[in-house]
Amino acid sequence: MHNVVHLDNLNKVFKLKTGSFFKRSEREIQAVSNISLDIPKGQSIAFIGPNGAGKSTTIKMLTGILHPSSGQASVLGLTPWKQRDKLAYKIGVVFGQRSQLWYHLPPGDTFELLAQIYNLKKNDYQKRRDMLIERFGLSSFLDIPVRRLSLGQRMRAEVAASLLHAPEIVFLDEPTIGLDVIARQELRDLIRQWNQEEGLTVFLTSHDAGDIENVARRVIVINHGQIVLDDKVSQMRRQYLASKVLAVKFHEPPLSPAISGISILKSSQYTLKLEVDTNIIPIEQVVNEVLKLGPVADITIENPPLEKVIAHIYAQGNKLAPDRNDNET
Amino acid sequence: MEASLFAKFYNYFLLVVKYVSCNFKSHMEYRGAFLSQVIAMFLNNSVWVIFWVIFFNRFPVLRGWEIKDVITLWAIAASGFGIADTICGNGLEIPRLITRGQLDIWMLYPRKLLPHMLLGRMDATACGDALFGYVVYIGFVHPDILHFIMFVALTLAVALVFIGFDILSGSLGFFIGNSEALTLELRFAMITFSTYPLNLFDGAVKIILYTLIPAGFVSYLPIQALRNLSLTDAFLTLLGGIGVILVGSTIFHLGLKRYESGNLLEMRN
Repeated sequence: MHNVVHLDNLNKVFKLKTGSFFKRSEREIQAVSNISLDIPKGQSIAFIGPNGAGKSTTIKMLTGILHPSSGQASVLGLTPWKQRDKLAYKIGVVFGQRSQLWYHLPPGDTFELLAQIYNLKKNDYQKRRDMLIERFGLSSFLDIPVRRLSLGQRMRAEVAASLLHAPEIVFLDEPTIGLDVIARQELRDLIRQWNQEEGLTVFLTSHDAGDIENVARRVIVINHGQIVLDDKVSQMRRQYLASKVLAVKFHEPPLSPAISGISILKSSQYTLKLEVDTNIIPIEQVVNEVLKLGPVADITIENPPLEKVIAHIYAQGNKLAPDRNDNET
Repeated sequence: MEASLFAKFYNYFLLVVKYVSCNFKSHMEYRGAFLSQVIAMFLNNSVWVIFWVIFFNRFPVLRGWEIKDVITLWAIAASGFGIADTICGNGLEIPRLITRGQLDIWMLYPRKLLPHMLLGRMDATACGDALFGYVVYIGFVHPDILHFIMFVALTLAVALVFIGFDILSGSLGFFIGNSEALTLELRFAMITFSTYPLNLFDGAVKIILYTLIPAGFVSYLPIQALRNLSLTDAFLTLLGGIGVILVGSTIFHLGLKRYESGNLLEMRN
């Protein structure tokens, strides 16, 4: 399959000067360390990691904003920091913390300006704009200045603006930051639909497990500038954390469980919620033991929440590199 | 090849028109604030012109300069500065954009970073300056059509000098980090020297005023060009403007290699 992104041993080192006025010392901070990866066309990936892990630095190198200290990168066959102008026609970028919409103007005016910036032909632009307005539900606030929009409306307009020039890949850096539950879900649905229906490659960073589950098929975890996990989202949850959550309802009050390898998360008169460490005891054995505690009315086995999986991966990464710094650039 | 170059210029011209229109619309969201800034700048400049009128009433000639020359100087400097920051208002913001990592957003567009970034903002007070220069020149000097055409051309050339100096002084941010205060001082120096007749200065100061603080391209050559309808002086003014732009752009692009971005929360306005 054709790769739209190819990274080969990408490194970025920042030099940091510290000290007093007279005595300055310089030290190096390795923001990104030997990252290599390929992203095929049409794939949606979540690129996640704790603050200071090197996510934004990587995105900035992939979009041509920053030069790497060493290593190679190719996005849609172009070297981002050398061919930034050409690349800009083919990529869309949304920074959740930085807007490309004009604060005092309606989104429609920014769209007009973007058409000029990207040299879009009038007919093509109008067709594309009308389609985006319909798909992103922008018509009701297209003529309202951005400063008067809700954050959810603004982010919908923001993502639509990034797709106006029909990019082949879109980089979304924390697009759902600050959004409420509904706005967040709406935006996730739109991004997922665009990925599935239009074949748009999506490169997403987020701290929200919901974004990762709802939008991405593949997850790449970065910590201390290094890739610590690269897997399918579903696999990550199943394999990376060896625990299951067992929820049991009884017809009668059950006996107290005395099984090694489990911990009780919640207990009431007729229910038990247990966390099972499958490294210590297989889940089948726990089920068998639970059936002995009393007459079972219902039983469910769940994977742990994705937040927990991610926190676990981050924690493991921190153990591997205890001298981490908190610099996020 | 030439057609392609022309097409590129025309394309950028359309972009300039679009940006000016967007910036103007953005300012019109707060009409009262915009008009008050324009009027305030107009009055501020008028005070200086009144000062010079009073001065020349007592001393009619100053090193060969008459009241008409000084009014012309003020008109050219104000309009040149005004046009520069009306169209390329982000020139004043370069140190802040560098320090806060706000060049990022401009680097994501398929346009040349420097000219595109410069277009991104309009300074409302600069509109007052631009307007002031034209009103004062027409009102006080009563030019004929040839002088007026020359005046328009010179204000555009002087605008290039100011844009170039904005880029040059603003790009210091790449090298010394937070250069906002230093850049501001350099700009004050440039504006101050641009509004005094160059004849007042001699020797080393004169050299500085054609190099480090290129106010000579504002406060001498354009006046000579208008006095004598001299195409040579007009051409030298234009050459000075292009030269300052070239030096500024070179320093900007050298500095850009040191740019390290940032992660501040931002909205465009």
